[in-house]
Amino acid sequence: MARLIRTEKEVEGRYEEVWLVVEEDALEQWPAGPREIVGRPATRIDGLERARGEAVYTADLKLPGMLHTAVLRSPYAHARVARIDLAPALALPGVHAAIGPGELDVLVEECGFQGVAVAAVCADTYAQARAALAAIEVDFEQLEVLIDPDEAVARGELIGEPRVRERGDLERGLAEADVVVTGEYRTQVVLHNSMETHQAVVQWLGDSLEVYISTQYIWGVRDEVSSSLGLPPDKVRVVCHYMGGGFGSKNEAGDFTFIAIELAKRTHRPVRCALTRREENLASGNRNATIQRLTIGARADGTLTALGGDYVNATGWGGWSSPVEGPMQMLYACENVKTTTWAAKINQPPMKAFRAPGFVEGTFGLESLLDVLAAKLDIDPLELRRHNYATNDAADGRPYSSKNLLECYRRAEPHWERRHEVRARSTETVKRGVGMASQIWYGGGGPPSYAWVRVGADGRATVVTAMQDIGTGTRTAMAQIAAEELGIPLAHVTVSLGDSARGPFASISAGSSTTPSMGPAVRAAAADARRQIEEIAEQRGTPDAPLGEIVGLLEDAQILGKGGRGPNPTGMQVLTFGVQVAEVAVDVETGEIWVDRIAAVHDVGRVINPLGASSQIEGGIIQGIGHTLSEHRLHDPRTGQILTTSLDAYKLPTFADVPEIVSELIDEPDMQLTNLGSKGLGEPPIVPVAAAISNAIRDATGAEVHELPISREEMLRALRAAALKEKVGAPAGI
Amino acid sequence: MELRRASSLELDGGTPLHGGTELVPLLRSGIVQAETLVDIRGVVPRGIDGSTIGAGATLAELECDPQIPDALREACRLAASPQLRNVGSLGGNLLQSTRCWYWRLKWPCRLHRTSDGFGEECFAQEGEHREHAIFENGFCASAHPSDVAAALVALGATLRTNRRELPVADLYRLPSEDDRRTTTLEPGELLLSVELPQTDRSVYLKAMDRKSWGFPLVGVAAARTEGETRVALAGVAPIPWLLEGSLDDATPLPRNAYKVDVARALVKRAVSSLEAS
Repeated sequence: MARLIRTEKEVEGRYEEVWLVVEEDALEQWPAGPREIVGRPATRIDGLERARGEAVYTADLKLPGMLHTAVLRSPYAHARVARIDLAPALALPGVHAAIGPGELDVLVEECGFQGVAVAAVCADTYAQARAALAAIEVDFEQLEVLIDPDEAVARGELIGEPRVRERGDLERGLAEADVVVTGEYRTQVVLHNSMETHQAVVQWLGDSLEVYISTQYIWGVRDEVSSSLGLPPDKVRVVCHYMGGGFGSKNEAGDFTFIAIELAKRTHRPVRCALTRREENLASGNRNATIQRLTIGARADGTLTALGGDYVNATGWGGWSSPVEGPMQMLYACENVKTTTWAAKINQPPMKAFRAPGFVEGTFGLESLLDVLAAKLDIDPLELRRHNYATNDAADGRPYSSKNLLECYRRAEPHWERRHEVRARSTETVKRGVGMASQIWYGGGGPPSYAWVRVGADGRATVVTAMQDIGTGTRTAMAQIAAEELGIPLAHVTVSLGDSARGPFASISAGSSTTPSMGPAVRAAAADARRQIEEIAEQRGTPDAPLGEIVGLLEDAQILGKGGRGPNPTGMQVLTFGVQVAEVAVDVETGEIWVDRIAAVHDVGRVINPLGASSQIEGGIIQGIGHTLSEHRLHDPRTGQILTTSLDAYKLPTFADVPEIVSELIDEPDMQLTNLGSKGLGEPPIVPVAAAISNAIRDATGAEVHELPISREEMLRALRAAALKEKVGAPAGI
Repeated sequence: MELRRASSLELDGGTPLHGGTELVPLLRSGIVQAETLVDIRGVVPRGIDGSTIGAGATLAELECDPQIPDALREACRLAASPQLRNVGSLGGNLLQSTRCWYWRLKWPCRLHRTSDGFGEECFAQEGEHREHAIFENGFCASAHPSDVAAALVALGATLRTNRRELPVADLYRLPSEDDRRTTTLEPGELLLSVELPQTDRSVYLKAMDRKSWGFPLVGVAAARTEGETRVALAGVAPIPWLLEGSLDDATPLPRNAYKVDVARALVKRAVSSLEAS
């Protein structure tokens, strides 16, 4: 019997209550460890399609009669459109329509950041649209810019109220401490720079709308578009079969979709609106910069007595205040904790979620300062972390649904032991060291999410669900789960996804939630189909016959299974954990840094596809290395205008920057979590990278890094500061 | 825009195109405007013949040729990415423009024409200049990005064009109030070949923001001939910089003093590696 229940849902640390329809059916989890198919490495079922260029991305789509759009974006960080005349653009060849401020919500007159959309033109070709854009007559009145986040906080220019989270008494905790360390850490703006830029192709079919879009959330786009246009949701069909990455930046419809919809309406033609790489570097979201002023108090034995943090998110003109204080609140047992987080509203492009938003930045600050404490107390950094291990959720006392961080630490020991041998290989100019950092993050997923499984007379199955594969290999994982439950080979399962008109509601692919949200629904649907097949076998008196033989009689009849995602365990905190150990070399004269090796041990419950999982870990670590060492979106300090708008100026890591990566997973199902026991792995691997590297640098050189990226100038500054400290701190007479 | 193939070294006002790795982005961003592009790959010499290198040789060809002195070979190997080196030519590399973001984004700086002459400000000086010049940055703080040019200046190479012969160093000029150009190349003049004098040993060392595909924060070329060492730097001045004085003479901006430290370390290493032989 179907039941309607209300349950709590978490996405990237933000909670909401949702209604949920669940079936009275609790499948037992599979026993731990690799099964026939689940838990064993599988190459991507769509790998050949992608490699051959047959996979159709939004960027590949060409609809008959499709028009192309160019968008006029504010060149200034703060300005008002004083005058705009679209007529010269409309007069040019090939141009079909032009829209400006006042004609669409996403086209604005007051521009709070460089890159905000002001006007748009569509034409037969993209070149014509660009030419028309240049013909628009527009005068901007430049306004005073506010770009310093501390100044914004001082002036009270904030997004939302400051977030204060407090337990115990910080002052008392500091008074009880034998040692207090403080530090100010800064992180930079970094960009998602997905391979496929943000884009949509839309067409109206009568009063229905088709939206082809590179998105992490088909159903979110459907709701956003339908409610904004006042259409019944099912009049909006959203399609995303393949996408070239998102990393958190593609959770919403975006200005480009609404521009395309309006232009398609006016021209009665399909319309494409795609960001260029330069627009992508301005107007598609970012991981905002942070300033973190941190204090840790501890007793001589290493017991943490106080954790304090003042955090400033340089959020931008919009967006939300990412949980940069999360690691300080949640990672370690400590009775006295107080954090305050401000979201500075400045004339910079709005932040968007970016692979563990807040936790990546916050882990860098907290875990760097924790190693400073370890050195001061002369306690091994790994032991210090073990000593302050939290057995219940450190922030609110709830029990964890599962936590194997101690096992992660244990598995990290051989990697950590290498530090003696690594250090010994130092030379006069190249110092080597090893550092570690812990990881905490969400990743439990949640309801609602649904899937159907269809089995035909050929004994093959199709999983049908309107989810999207963000590029992580979701199709393959879902096929593995269905094949396992049905007891058929992986090659006999296909997955139909990516279309809101062809399948039931499915989860967002954000917050490391796809596998833990969708996997249980797919398994439930496959189990439903299997049960029906078993019932048929029972009736035919052949209960032990193979599936193919039983369904072989079906002709055009089909077995249809359906399944839903149940709620997360009540009153429990569902989190992911891990630890990474980095080995680095630092040229102390030139400030050059080499990351030689990173060992990653993560606890994400049951692993569905070990091959896909190691790819996720590698991808997260590589993106983390970019964040740590080279990526930096720079702006002009006087005008706030962005200076790094191309991929030669904005420095993503190259393969030459990639170290040896050792991936290990605990692979212990979370017995409290769903019929699968799996958590997500999309975000965890990027969380500890920066801190592990900065701690390794400290181990190698004694230099304390305080800023990301650890550029030549930051590395040389830290080395100079360390040398000075040594000189000043040396006993008299030496 | 029209594209035609050159049949001789006379381009009739057309804009020469070789590998296109620099020209095409500049055309796209509107910094270079051209009505006619002339493909010069058929008329510019390409081969390597002893000490003479055709200006049409790609960086990829130079980086794997054992006849080429170490400084030039390493400068090629450490430049750009394999894909870019496969098409980028020696001549084009010598004529590339600065990576200064203000210049690339067409801020009306001193090197850009405006409606009434040239810009009157160097935005980098008061702005974001971590990648900029530490020598001769008073008028324009742009940094010259060519690894190859620094190597050739250190090697004392000579250039042959369709009009003249000149030391590589003389291809470049510091921009000034009266003349904003950064090269001495005349309209219609084409680089044809480079002549390398005999050197005993040479080396190129480079600091960049990542391990591959990075312009030099600092590049140091050093060449030793008959006991004398010449050092030239990339990424430290608006032109390839022959280091005649000391790095103490550098005039860094507030946020690029680190380049002096990096240069000092690399120069010391380069020179001592040559002396070690």
